[in-house]
Amino acid sequence: MGDLLAQGAAWLEQQRTRHLATTVTYVRGASTADVLATIGRTKFEADDGHVVRVEFTDRDFLILVADLILAGQPTEPERGDLIREGPLEFEVLEWRFSDPYRQTFRITTKHTGATEV
Amino acid sequence: MPLITQVAEAVIADLNGATFSQPFTAVRSYLPRSELAELKTLKVTVVPSGLSVVTASRGQTQQDVAIDVAVQQKLTGEDNTDLDPLLALAEEIAAHFRGQRLTSLPYAIWVKTEFKTIYAPDHIDQLRTFTSVVSLTFRVIE
Repeated sequence: MGDLLAQGAAWLEQQRTRHLATTVTYVRGASTADVLATIGRTKFEADDGHVVRVEFTDRDFLILVADLILAGQPTEPERGDLIREGPLEFEVLEWRFSDPYRQTFRITTKHTGATEV
Repeated sequence: MPLITQVAEAVIADLNGATFSQPFTAVRSYLPRSELAELKTLKVTVVPSGLSVVTASRGQTQQDVAIDVAVQQKLTGEDNTDLDPLLALAEEIAAHFRGQRLTSLPYAIWVKTEFKTIYAPDHIDQLRTFTSVVSLTFRVIE
Protein backbone atom coordinates (compact mmCIF):
# COMPACT_ATOMS: atom_id res chain seq x y z
CA MET A 1 0.00 0.00 0.00
CA GLY A 2 3.01 2.23 0.43
CA ASP A 3 3.50 5.13 2.76
CA LEU A 4 0.28 7.10 2.64
CA LEU A 5 1.78 10.02 4.51
CA ALA A 6 4.69 10.23 2.06
CA GLN A 7 2.29 10.09 -0.86
CA GLY A 8 0.12 12.77 0.69
CA ALA A 9 3.16 14.98 1.35
CA ALA A 10 4.33 14.53 -2.24
CA TRP A 11 0.89 15.52 -3.53
CA LEU A 12 0.87 18.58 -1.30
CA GLU A 13 4.32 19.62 -2.51
CA GLN A 14 3.16 19.30 -6.10
CA GLN A 15 0.11 21.43 -5.36
CA ARG A 16 2.28 24.05 -3.67
CA THR A 17 4.60 24.16 -6.66
CA ARG A 18 1.70 24.30 -9.11
CA HIS A 19 -0.33 26.99 -7.38
CA LEU A 20 1.98 28.93 -5.06
CA ALA A 21 5.17 29.31 -7.00
CA THR A 22 6.92 31.77 -9.23
CA THR A 23 9.75 31.19 -11.66
CA VAL A 24 13.19 32.14 -10.42
CA THR A 25 16.63 31.61 -11.89
CA TYR A 26 19.03 29.54 -9.86
CA VAL A 27 22.65 30.44 -10.58
CA ARG A 28 25.95 28.75 -9.78
CA GLY A 29 28.82 30.24 -11.69
CA ALA A 30 28.00 29.91 -15.35
CA SER A 31 25.26 27.33 -14.76
CA THR A 32 21.71 28.55 -14.49
CA ALA A 33 18.32 26.90 -14.22
CA ASP A 34 14.84 28.34 -14.24
CA VAL A 35 12.85 26.68 -11.46
CA LEU A 36 9.54 27.17 -9.73
CA ALA A 37 9.96 28.47 -6.21
CA THR A 38 7.59 29.37 -3.43
CA ILE A 39 8.58 32.50 -1.57
CA GLY A 40 8.81 31.61 2.09
CA ARG A 41 9.66 33.75 5.05
CA THR A 42 10.82 37.26 4.17
CA LYS A 43 12.17 39.40 6.96
CA PHE A 44 14.04 42.66 7.23
CA GLU A 45 16.83 42.50 9.77
CA ALA A 46 19.80 44.47 10.97
CA ASP A 47 23.06 43.63 12.67
CA ASP A 48 24.70 46.43 14.62
CA GLY A 49 26.99 44.48 16.86
CA HIS A 50 30.22 45.89 15.45
CA VAL A 51 29.99 49.72 15.42
CA VAL A 52 28.60 49.59 11.89
CA ARG A 53 25.05 48.51 11.26
CA VAL A 54 24.31 46.18 8.36
CA GLU A 55 20.74 45.97 7.13
CA PHE A 56 19.50 43.11 5.03
CA THR A 57 16.48 41.16 3.96
CA ASP A 58 16.26 37.43 4.58
CA ARG A 59 14.20 35.41 2.18
CA ASP A 60 13.51 31.68 2.04
CA PHE A 61 12.76 29.93 -1.24
CA LEU A 62 11.08 26.53 -1.39
CA ILE A 63 12.21 24.55 -4.42
CA LEU A 64 11.43 20.94 -5.25
CA VAL A 65 14.50 18.73 -5.00
CA ALA A 66 13.58 17.19 -8.33
CA ASP A 67 13.54 20.60 -10.01
CA LEU A 68 17.03 21.74 -9.07
CA ILE A 69 19.05 20.49 -12.01
CA LEU A 70 22.27 22.32 -12.89
CA ALA A 71 24.39 21.31 -15.88
CA GLY A 72 22.19 18.26 -16.26
CA GLN A 73 22.84 17.00 -12.75
CA PRO A 74 20.54 16.92 -9.71
CA THR A 75 22.07 19.45 -7.37
CA GLU A 76 21.96 20.46 -3.74
CA PRO A 77 22.18 24.18 -2.97
CA GLU A 78 25.56 25.60 -2.03
CA ARG A 79 26.52 28.65 -0.03
CA GLY A 80 27.22 31.52 -2.42
CA ASP A 81 24.80 30.35 -5.13
CA LEU A 82 22.45 33.05 -6.39
CA ILE A 83 18.70 33.11 -6.88
CA ARG A 84 17.36 35.78 -9.20
CA GLU A 85 13.76 36.77 -8.79
CA GLY A 86 13.00 39.30 -11.48
CA PRO A 87 15.45 42.16 -10.97
CA LEU A 88 16.28 41.09 -7.44
CA GLU A 89 19.24 38.93 -6.55
CA PHE A 90 19.56 36.80 -3.44
CA GLU A 91 22.60 34.93 -2.19
CA VAL A 92 22.27 31.44 -0.73
CA LEU A 93 23.58 31.15 2.81
CA GLU A 94 22.22 27.82 3.97
CA TRP A 95 19.56 25.27 3.23
CA ARG A 96 17.74 22.33 4.72
CA PHE A 97 15.03 19.94 3.67
CA SER A 98 11.67 21.43 4.50
CA ASP A 99 9.81 18.16 4.85
CA PRO A 100 10.50 14.76 6.39
CA TYR A 101 10.52 13.08 2.99
CA ARG A 102 13.25 15.31 1.56
CA GLN A 103 11.20 16.44 -1.39
CA THR A 104 11.72 20.17 -1.00
CA PHE A 105 14.68 22.40 -0.26
CA ARG A 106 14.13 25.37 2.03
CA ILE A 107 16.89 27.70 0.89
CA THR A 108 17.75 30.65 3.12
CA THR A 109 19.09 33.67 1.26
CA LYS A 110 19.95 37.30 1.79
CA HIS A 111 19.09 40.05 -0.65
CA THR A 112 22.29 41.33 -2.22
CA GLY A 113 20.91 43.88 -4.63
CA ALA A 114 19.80 44.09 -8.20
CA THR A 115 20.72 41.44 -10.68
CA GLU A 116 24.14 42.00 -12.20
CA VAL A 117 24.51 40.02 -15.39
CA MET B 1 33.30 72.05 14.58
CA PRO B 2 33.58 69.82 17.66
CA LEU B 3 37.08 68.53 18.37
CA ILE B 4 36.10 64.88 17.88
CA THR B 5 34.66 65.71 14.47
CA GLN B 6 37.77 67.66 13.52
CA VAL B 7 39.88 64.65 14.42
CA ALA B 8 37.58 62.34 12.45
CA GLU B 9 37.82 64.62 9.41
CA ALA B 10 41.60 64.74 9.73
CA VAL B 11 41.69 60.93 9.85
CA ILE B 12 39.60 60.82 6.67
CA ALA B 13 41.90 63.32 4.96
CA ASP B 14 44.92 61.20 5.87
CA LEU B 15 43.25 57.99 4.72
CA ASN B 16 42.05 59.42 1.43
CA GLY B 17 45.37 61.06 0.77
CA ALA B 18 47.36 57.89 1.23
CA THR B 19 47.82 54.86 -1.00
CA PHE B 20 46.82 51.48 0.37
CA SER B 21 46.85 48.00 -1.10
CA GLN B 22 43.21 48.44 -2.10
CA PRO B 23 41.65 51.72 -3.19
CA PHE B 24 38.81 53.22 -1.17
CA THR B 25 37.28 56.53 -0.22
CA ALA B 26 36.69 56.83 3.50
CA VAL B 27 33.57 58.63 4.67
CA ARG B 28 32.48 59.91 8.07
CA SER B 29 29.20 58.85 9.58
CA TYR B 30 27.33 59.47 12.81
CA LEU B 31 25.04 56.53 12.09
CA PRO B 32 27.06 54.07 10.08
CA ARG B 33 24.71 51.71 8.36
CA SER B 34 24.71 49.93 5.04
CA GLU B 35 22.47 47.72 3.02
CA LEU B 36 24.22 44.45 2.33
CA ALA B 37 24.14 45.24 -1.38
CA GLU B 38 26.13 48.43 -0.84
CA LEU B 39 29.02 46.45 0.55
CA LYS B 40 29.84 44.82 -2.77
CA THR B 41 32.23 47.77 -3.02
CA LEU B 42 34.90 48.09 -0.33
CA LYS B 43 33.59 50.52 2.29
CA VAL B 44 35.66 52.36 4.88
CA THR B 45 33.67 54.30 7.43
CA VAL B 46 35.09 56.67 10.03
CA VAL B 47 33.03 57.01 13.18
CA PRO B 48 33.67 59.32 16.13
CA SER B 49 33.68 56.90 19.01
CA GLY B 50 34.78 58.37 22.32
CA LEU B 51 36.33 61.26 24.15
CA SER B 52 38.01 61.38 27.53
CA VAL B 53 39.18 64.59 29.13
CA VAL B 54 41.63 64.79 32.03
CA THR B 55 43.77 67.49 33.54
CA ALA B 56 47.20 67.71 31.92
CA SER B 57 48.56 70.52 34.04
CA ARG B 58 47.24 73.49 35.96
CA GLY B 59 46.22 75.25 32.76
CA GLN B 60 45.85 72.44 30.25
CA THR B 61 43.54 69.57 29.53
CA GLN B 62 44.39 66.33 27.82
CA GLN B 63 41.72 65.07 25.47
CA ASP B 64 41.92 61.55 24.10
CA VAL B 65 39.75 61.21 21.05
CA ALA B 66 38.78 57.74 19.86
CA ILE B 67 37.93 57.27 16.22
CA ASP B 68 36.67 53.96 14.84
CA VAL B 69 37.54 52.99 11.31
CA ALA B 70 35.41 50.17 9.89
CA VAL B 71 36.52 48.18 6.87
CA GLN B 72 33.73 46.23 5.19
CA GLN B 73 33.22 44.31 2.03
CA LYS B 74 30.85 41.65 0.76
CA LEU B 75 32.78 38.47 0.10
CA THR B 76 32.76 36.48 -3.08
CA GLY B 77 34.47 33.59 -1.31
CA GLU B 78 35.36 32.61 2.22
CA ASP B 79 38.83 31.17 1.73
CA ASN B 80 41.90 32.66 3.36
CA THR B 81 42.83 34.14 0.00
CA ASP B 82 39.57 36.10 0.03
CA LEU B 83 39.90 37.30 3.61
CA ASP B 84 43.63 37.91 4.04
CA PRO B 85 43.78 41.00 1.81
CA LEU B 86 40.95 42.68 3.72
CA LEU B 87 42.49 41.98 7.11
CA ALA B 88 45.80 43.20 5.72
CA LEU B 89 44.11 46.44 4.70
CA ALA B 90 42.80 46.94 8.23
CA GLU B 91 46.33 46.42 9.52
CA GLU B 92 47.69 48.88 6.95
CA ILE B 93 45.22 51.48 8.17
CA ALA B 94 46.27 50.85 11.76
CA ALA B 95 49.96 51.08 10.83
CA HIS B 96 49.45 54.24 8.82
CA PHE B 97 48.74 56.31 11.92
CA ARG B 98 51.18 54.67 14.33
CA GLY B 99 53.41 57.27 15.95
CA GLN B 100 52.10 60.01 13.67
CA ARG B 101 50.45 63.38 14.01
CA LEU B 102 47.40 63.97 11.85
CA THR B 103 48.49 65.92 8.78
CA SER B 104 45.68 68.46 8.80
CA LEU B 105 45.46 68.61 12.60
CA PRO B 106 49.09 68.38 13.74
CA TYR B 107 48.34 68.96 17.41
CA ALA B 108 46.49 65.61 17.44
CA ILE B 109 49.02 62.90 18.19
CA TRP B 110 48.41 59.19 17.85
CA VAL B 111 48.62 57.37 21.17
CA LYS B 112 46.89 54.04 20.76
CA THR B 113 45.39 51.58 18.28
CA GLU B 114 43.03 48.78 19.19
CA PHE B 115 41.22 46.34 16.98
CA LYS B 116 37.72 46.54 18.41
CA THR B 117 36.82 43.77 16.01
CA ILE B 118 39.74 42.12 14.26
CA TYR B 119 37.13 40.48 12.10
CA ALA B 120 33.53 39.63 12.77
CA PRO B 121 33.02 35.87 12.39
CA ASP B 122 29.26 36.31 12.60
CA HIS B 123 29.29 38.66 9.61
CA ILE B 124 31.28 36.13 7.61
CA ASP B 125 28.94 33.35 8.64
CA GLN B 126 25.58 35.08 8.39
CA LEU B 127 26.21 37.83 5.84
CA ARG B 128 29.21 36.60 3.85
CA THR B 129 30.68 39.97 4.65
CA PHE B 130 34.04 41.00 6.07
CA THR B 131 33.95 43.55 8.87
CA SER B 132 36.95 44.82 10.80
CA VAL B 133 36.96 47.79 13.15
CA VAL B 134 40.15 49.61 14.07
CA SER B 135 39.91 52.08 16.93
CA LEU B 136 42.48 54.88 16.84
CA THR B 137 43.09 57.19 19.77
CA PHE B 138 44.62 60.63 19.30
CA ARG B 139 45.70 62.96 22.08
CA VAL B 140 45.11 66.67 22.01
CA ILE B 141 46.48 68.87 24.78
CA GLU B 142 45.00 72.33 24.97
